[in-house]
Amino acid sequence: MSQISRRDFLKFAGMTTASVLAARPLNFLDSAGVEGHNIIIILCDSFSAKHLSLYGYPRQTTPNIDAFAERSTVFHNHYSGGNFTTTGTASMLTGMIPWKHRALNLGGLVRSEFIGSNPYTLLGSDYFRFAFSQNPFPDRLIGQYYKDIDRFLPPSAYSLQKDFSPLSVFDNDRVLASIAIEDFLLPIQDSTVAGTALFGYINKNRILTNPRNQKITYRHGIPEVLESWSLISYLNEEIYSGLYSELIHLASKASPYFAYFHLYSPHFPYRPRNDFLKLFRDDGFKPVSKPIHPLASGVDEGSLISLSALYDKQIVQVDDEFGRLIAKLNKDGILENSYLIFTSDHGELFERGFFGHGDEFMYEPVLHIPLIIRAPGQAKRDDIFALTSNIDILPTILSIAGKSPAPDVDGQVLPGLGGQTDEDRLIFSIYAGKNPAFGRLEKAVISMRRREYKLIAYLGYDNFDHVFELYDLEKDPDELDNLVSKDAKTLAAMKDKLFAHLNDANRL
Amino acid sequence: MTGVKDVVRRFAVLLAERFPDTQNILSIYAVIVSLIYSWTLITSFYKIPSWLFFLTIGQIFSIYAYSFFINLIESILMLIGILLLEYTIFYPLKKRNEFQSRSILMVVFMLSSSMIRLLLYKSYESSGAFVSGELTWWILTLLLGIFFATIIPKSERLKNVIEGIAERLIILLYVYIPFSILSLIIIIIRNIN
Repeated sequence: MSQISRRDFLKFAGMTTASVLAARPLNFLDSAGVEGHNIIIILCDSFSAKHLSLYGYPRQTTPNIDAFAERSTVFHNHYSGGNFTTTGTASMLTGMIPWKHRALNLGGLVRSEFIGSNPYTLLGSDYFRFAFSQNPFPDRLIGQYYKDIDRFLPPSAYSLQKDFSPLSVFDNDRVLASIAIEDFLLPIQDSTVAGTALFGYINKNRILTNPRNQKITYRHGIPEVLESWSLISYLNEEIYSGLYSELIHLASKASPYFAYFHLYSPHFPYRPRNDFLKLFRDDGFKPVSKPIHPLASGVDEGSLISLSALYDKQIVQVDDEFGRLIAKLNKDGILENSYLIFTSDHGELFERGFFGHGDEFMYEPVLHIPLIIRAPGQAKRDDIFALTSNIDILPTILSIAGKSPAPDVDGQVLPGLGGQTDEDRLIFSIYAGKNPAFGRLEKAVISMRRREYKLIAYLGYDNFDHVFELYDLEKDPDELDNLVSKDAKTLAAMKDKLFAHLNDANRL
Repeated sequence: MTGVKDVVRRFAVLLAERFPDTQNILSIYAVIVSLIYSWTLITSFYKIPSWLFFLTIGQIFSIYAYSFFINLIESILMLIGILLLEYTIFYPLKKRNEFQSRSILMVVFMLSSSMIRLLLYKSYESSGAFVSGELTWWILTLLLGIFFATIIPKSERLKNVIEGIAERLIILLYVYIPFSILSLIIIIIRNIN
């Protein structure tokens, strides 16, 4: 009988361990013994549903998201509560219509009496609660719930900006410190200048020279950049690999977890990597031409078309990263006990002489956002065509977690996930960036959807006060045929409903 | 050991020899403070309309607390920097009676140069221009600053005007510094668990 040497034994032991790990990679993470489902939200900023091939966009922008949707619940008429980040995200986190939560202005905050209405507080300590927003405005909103978050990454996490943030010193007063420091004293660029002459300058120099140095060593093209006042440069692949490593880390927790990732891309400036820049050249696709809006700055149609194509390429890149992430999560069994919610905070518009989001434009591309939810073990696709809003996310999360419905919340549990379809439901989206958060809602643009109709009301604008647009989205999905002078009965009924709700809101 | 002691002693003598009069330092600090704090106050006026949209008056005061606290650190560091110049660039200029006006001119040059650049390059689109022209700008600023800080104090009249203004600005220290200390207390309270 041959003797087994110590070296042979160690080799054998090593190979056995390796083969066991290879056969069931990371299965120690598969939530066995964890009671309750994990809930993961991946939100891609400024992601218009109108630009997803999943929702019928002629360009093949999202093959990986389309594949993910094949075993998920797909919501086809999902709307954001606002047309820019602060209002849209606050609506999702609070489950409230913007005129109630009042995060109406750029960088605004949720009204103090409603701060308790958010997933972090309401899920409670049964859940390990994680937050990461690349965009500083949601980071500030989430900062209001700081004490209820177990792990809260700064916007610069996994970016190319790896140095110290002065904000980390003021964790207990994160929201106001963020406004004071990031928005005022040490901004990188804004409509106004840095509030400190010396530190402001040094900080601007520090950050602006950083991406320049990075560009030299980055072979795929210039990095993406977070364009608002903090100007954080990042690479999508590093952000998504950071997201993956966070999920791996969360999976090792003894309790279920709630994780919210607010990712910046495909937000402007669109900087797709070199390998995506070649896409859609001369593909013959031309968006429908639409008349210039009276409140638009009048960006010419050629620019809108090329910006839209660049945006599509950025979406393909996001889709590519998302596809790789899902493949890894599936392989590791991370999704076996997790609900994965893929959505956005608002869309993006390239029409009527305007591009981007925010401002007074409430058309479908900027309000209609994707919502795809994969439930644990879901094997086939479920399509929901009912009207839904991102204010429904919070009640749905609470329902999934088996928690009591939150008081004051306007949203409903989503159909397909335990909720009912309400044919008569009104879906509101509001832009009130120029209306004080504390006062009555007097200067605003409100979109109200009911059944096939959509009413847009412009209120309080000089020479554009009480102007209305009415569309039948089933017959006219491009919102070209304004029915205001053609369908007085529907207009009156829609206006009555809108003003009844608005008057209620203004009484609060 | 004696060698180290000797070096320390010599260094202390050097510091003491060149260390300016406290009253002079105070007036230079007053110039720094008035420029730094005024900049913050003026730029904050552009932010107030948007803050009033969503912040309460108390929250706006807290933002000013952060601002004054950071201004305090900023002004102290600037003063240290200016004092260091006396031991480096201006070391050959032994005339201590020119220290005050010389340093004031350097402060004005450096800070206004920074302010002008912040005003010129505030948009995202101008980021490239901000970075590419930076070295030339600062070399020119430094050279011009040193030139004027050396030449202007030679004129007794101009020197007196500069020093006169600086001494009158000391009154601002009685406003800004207590506010900054109060700000520090507010920040500590807000950040205590």
